[in-house]
Amino acid sequence: MTLASLCDEPMTTTAAHLSLPPVTADPGSLRAAWRIFWRGGLMSYGMLFNWARPSIYFPTLIGGPTFQLLFFAALGSYAAGRSPAYFALGNAVQVSALAGIFGMTMAIANERWFSTLPAILATPANRIALFAGRFLPFIANGLFVSLYAIAFGVIFLGVRFEASTLGVAGLALLVTVFSCTAIGALQGAISLRLRDGLFGANLLMLTFLLFCGVNIPVASLPAWMQVISNLLPFTHGLAQVGGLISLEAVIGVAYAVAAFALFSYLERSARANATLDVR
Amino acid sequence: MTGDLASLSHAPTRPGSASAEAPAIEAIDLVRIYHTHVGVIRRRPLDVEAVRGVTFDVRPGELFGLLGPNGAGKTTTIKMLITLLLPTSGSARVMGFDVVRETTEVRRRIGYVFGGDRGLYDRVSGLDNLRYFAELYGVDPRQRDRRIAALLELVGLTGREKEKVEGYSRGMRQRLHIARGLLHDPEVIFMDEPSIGLDPIGARELRQTVRSLVDAGKTVLLTTHYMFEADALCDRIAVINDGHIVASGTGSDLKSAVLNRTIVEIETFGVAPEAIDRLRRDPEVIAVNTEERDQSQILLIQSERGPEITQRLLGSLGDTRVGKVVAREPTLEDAYVHLIASTSSTDGADRAAALG
Repeated sequence: MTLASLCDEPMTTTAAHLSLPPVTADPGSLRAAWRIFWRGGLMSYGMLFNWARPSIYFPTLIGGPTFQLLFFAALGSYAAGRSPAYFALGNAVQVSALAGIFGMTMAIANERWFSTLPAILATPANRIALFAGRFLPFIANGLFVSLYAIAFGVIFLGVRFEASTLGVAGLALLVTVFSCTAIGALQGAISLRLRDGLFGANLLMLTFLLFCGVNIPVASLPAWMQVISNLLPFTHGLAQVGGLISLEAVIGVAYAVAAFALFSYLERSARANATLDVR
Repeated sequence: MTGDLASLSHAPTRPGSASAEAPAIEAIDLVRIYHTHVGVIRRRPLDVEAVRGVTFDVRPGELFGLLGPNGAGKTTTIKMLITLLLPTSGSARVMGFDVVRETTEVRRRIGYVFGGDRGLYDRVSGLDNLRYFAELYGVDPRQRDRRIAALLELVGLTGREKEKVEGYSRGMRQRLHIARGLLHDPEVIFMDEPSIGLDPIGARELRQTVRSLVDAGKTVLLTTHYMFEADALCDRIAVINDGHIVASGTGSDLKSAVLNRTIVEIETFGVAPEAIDRLRRDPEVIAVNTEERDQSQILLIQSERGPEITQRLLGSLGDTRVGKVVAREPTLEDAYVHLIASTSSTDGADRAAALG
């Protein structure tokens, strides 16, 4: 029996007649956009981070931050003679960068490395909803890591809050985690084009430790470094002052808009130049 | 694959759907040049013309085959039509919408079935893959699960949908690709070498599914480099080589180009290039193609003479050890081989024009 003759053979399987109502698909509707943002965002996390089993997740997002807190609390109190709680609090917020930057970088760039990017780009899905939805799991992850680190600081390193400041502190944390995730999205968009995006994410992590006032007060940095500090996430959020939290939010939105603009540019550029593996 | 597509589809009624007169797919003089670089230290720009003026149209409800060897420009053509790539020049419309400017309108009306096993989320289940793409295509959530169940039935993955894709065979992945491409009931379906890597039974089932898509009123553009597949399935075929359409028509039209020929197949063992050259220089030989097998080489010799030329051909081979010899009528595959051989550039040099 030849392959050609197989083509002409009648079906040997039993045809199962299926009855179902005509499917309607309206990817341009607001409802579809909302579902892509909300459900699609959460589902994409499952798609891309299914490998993050507890044996990887907890050592990375709990073990690493714990030792960062202990390290800087010990170093700070030894070198600067200040309370470990001072360093613990700042670092407890800063550890959210781990989820925000690395997670978000991978949430965008991994579509290319998993070879699923062309399939996504061929859909009519609302791009803003598709992009923004990816923020959700990492904001949640960042909040989880920071809240854990704060609890660790309260229990072991003497971190204390006044009840009257809890609201502002919570808002500052939320805004800071968002802005951190936004810069992670920008790094992710860059990583779509450049193959070594995680090196950039590592660089950002170290940059935050130096520039954002977590361990070294911004005022004590040279003037040129202060300029950079003021343009980065964390710097203003850590201050926990109303006006500065707003500034942190503005910086976060600016990074998010820049990230989406770059993503859109890269999508257009991919069509023109056959980049991003669409060829 | 055990389902019936007719019950899965509905007549296209959306604005912008192709009328009976208008083609569902229309490509006019499509050109795509890739700009790349060669060299490590001294990088020189290089332009590669993957598609060089492709023109064709596909009627609504037609199954159209784009047939050609690897690197002929099939995938590049299809990627321009599905809006993933911009044409360097030329134009194309799908269901009346321009593939350059009206991308969203095109994308919501088409399904794209990838060839091979890439393009799926490997570490989650087939069901999760389908659910995610159902969201991206805006499938009504009230209809989603029933639609997915029906598609799983259609492609024969019912019962396996909760397994991780990384454990799927190549055929199962291909079938999942098909289910994904049909989630939103597209009017036009593009299939890029869908049977590549499938076993014969899987490939046959896939062809049955493709046929049922057309029976259900879908327009299908299929790329393949399997001649028999195009012949068995397609209403019309365009043969593409070196970025050009070198012939088009029905399978019978293509076969007519070689109908008056005899094909002599000679199995040889260690045939020398000089012997093949001698055959090619024979004035009554039109074309000689070789197929490498494990231990042997099959010479496919086309001639306008009848089977009586066989002895002369064997004489031209000299001391070459010869196995089975068959003289037969030409097939569509012979027509294809003739078209490709007669239109291929000898060294491929004209496919790339260095700018630097």
